Amino acid sequence: MSSIAGTLAYPISSFILISAFYMQGQEFIRPMIRGQLIQSLLIAAVSFIVGFSENNIDFIILGIFIVFLRGALVTYFLEKGVPSKKVYFYEKKVDVAYLLLVDLIFIVIAVFLIYSIVFSSISIKSLIGNNGILVFPLTLFFQGLFLIASRRTTFAQIIGYVEEENALVLFALFLLPIPIIIEASVFMDVLALVVISSIVVIEKSTHERVEELIG
Amino acid sequence: MSPGLFLVILTLFVPVVAFLFYFAGLKAANIAGGVINTSIAVLLYFFRPPVGLFFVDFTTWVFIMMVTAISLLSSFYATRYFKGSKMGIKEETFYLLMALFTTSMLFSLVINNYGLMWVGIEATTISSALLLITDKTETSLEATWRYLVIVSAGVTFAFFSIILIYYSLGTLEVSSVLAITAGTKSTPILKIAVAIALIGFGTKVGVFPVHTWLPDAHSEAPSPVSAMFSGVLLPTALYVLYRIFEIDPLRSLYVWFGVISVVAASIFLGYQTRYKRMFAYSTMENMNLALIGFASGGIAGITGALLLLISHSFGKAGAFYSSGNVLKATGKKGIEDINGLWNSMPMTSGSMLLSSLAVTGTPPFGTFFGEFLILYNLLTLHYYIQFVIVLFFLMTAFISVNLNVSKMIFRGESDYSEPDRVMPLISMVSSVMPIVIGIIFLVMTIEMV
Repeated sequence: MSSIAGTLAYPISSFILISAFYMQGQEFIRPMIRGQLIQSLLIAAVSFIVGFSENNIDFIILGIFIVFLRGALVTYFLEKGVPSKKVYFYEKKVDVAYLLLVDLIFIVIAVFLIYSIVFSSISIKSLIGNNGILVFPLTLFFQGLFLIASRRTTFAQIIGYVEEENALVLFALFLLPIPIIIEASVFMDVLALVVISSIVVIEKSTHERVEELIG
Repeated sequence: MSPGLFLVILTLFVPVVAFLFYFAGLKAANIAGGVINTSIAVLLYFFRPPVGLFFVDFTTWVFIMMVTAISLLSSFYATRYFKGSKMGIKEETFYLLMALFTTSMLFSLVINNYGLMWVGIEATTISSALLLITDKTETSLEATWRYLVIVSAGVTFAFFSIILIYYSLGTLEVSSVLAITAGTKSTPILKIAVAIALIGFGTKVGVFPVHTWLPDAHSEAPSPVSAMFSGVLLPTALYVLYRIFEIDPLRSLYVWFGVISVVAASIFLGYQTRYKRMFAYSTMENMNLALIGFASGGIAGITGALLLLISHSFGKAGAFYSSGNVLKATGKKGIEDINGLWNSMPMTSGSMLLSSLAVTGTPPFGTFFGEFLILYNLLTLHYYIQFVIVLFFLMTAFISVNLNVSKMIFRGESDYSEPDRVMPLISMVSSVMPIVIGIIFLVMTIEMV
């Protein structure tokens, strides 16, 4: 891995995390959708950098798939699914400042625990820079989980899921040229598209407590 | 091409080909496909494929048998269950998804690659999610959404485990990985991979606390789909988890998670007010007991787990088919709303009683011998605390399920009627199978001794 690639990977990964926090901080759905578009494009950029740096065509193909499927198609379906009534554009009862604070506490504790307990006992060599770069995909994963758990709208939860996928692809990108990752990534995109087209289109736009599903 | 390889490829294609015939107008093709696939599964016992693209040992074969047999029963049951009902999705779409669902489960079982196993498990989510919304009620939509979000998040997490396995060993081929790791010293990375798999794939198996989708999905799905979920989908995920567990057996961790999950399931069972939801928690209890069996290992543990799983798959399918009959006849989901089934629906009452006895491990059902072997194995491993906890909560679950089912059957009188002749017959056949399995096991054991 060239030093330029290593140098570029850190700021891009930081922007990926910033995009994740940006999405968490949004009340309205459309900025969240655009946030995930930017995040996916940044992941694709990392894939291209690793591909050119390692001279590995698989990563270039993966980057193209991410741009096309996650960047274009998933965003298109999400944008298309946003109802025209303005009331559905945002989530009521969301105290953004409070959520961001809880989010930060959750992520810091989760990542700290993983690093101090798991990573201190094993030796994992990252393709880019040192092991510290793995903190980005881990943080992104927990951020995606938190987004799913903290929001009630279908859109926000789909975006949380896409964020988890991004974390997984980023983790694999930094760790090793895993042959299955392209197929897996495409597969997850297809799953996301199925979810979007099947659930959002039939307008199950919010998820509240249902009496029959308690207990 | 070896006969075994040909049979495995055939078993993967039969459900889809059968659907094509169905689509062309041959309505009985789905059932015929199910019969053919179950027959192929029997033949696979004698003709195993060579290790290569596929990996089929005795354990895999037991799971293949379960999937093909329950798929056949569910396809047959579905033809009657949906007759005259308004479906939220087209009938053709339902059977196409059923075919893809069966194929994706079989693919996850036979493929010799952990990564593709993961893909297979994800494929089961895609194909089965839309089956859940067949009724298209507000509740079923919510249950489907929870299923998708929770299971997808869990299985995505499981991919970390796959990445770490590849990082450690440089291959994802199941046979190669097991050959490399057999007898060698375990590494911390592999331990972490196996631990992550417990949470990741455990989401689909119904391990506490990542089980929350399970009661919602099982209770809101149409009965033929609930039977598939409970009888074969969860065991398929358990099979994949077991294959990863084999890499570096973290026995204590897996056994304790299984024990805690059995405790949680038994407690949740106690206060359920809807019968399908109660059976869903019973599934969680049985899956985790099987997990304990696999994790405790040895001949007794693994035989017990396999015996429990195959008996449970028929027993629980019988329970959900019986529930479907009751729901069709009464339109009610609550335990307290159903009375006196015995005098109005004798066949369904019989199948429901038998199936509830089966899934709670009553002798001489196969589940009893499975549970006995697993508990015996815990004792031989000196897991006394786990043994006592599991035994106590199994008894609690036994009382909860059978008390509720007895109330529905024997309390008061009613004037319902069986939905038709065939549906109760299918539920009865499925409910009787665990007794047959138990007796066969008993005879074989006596002969061996």
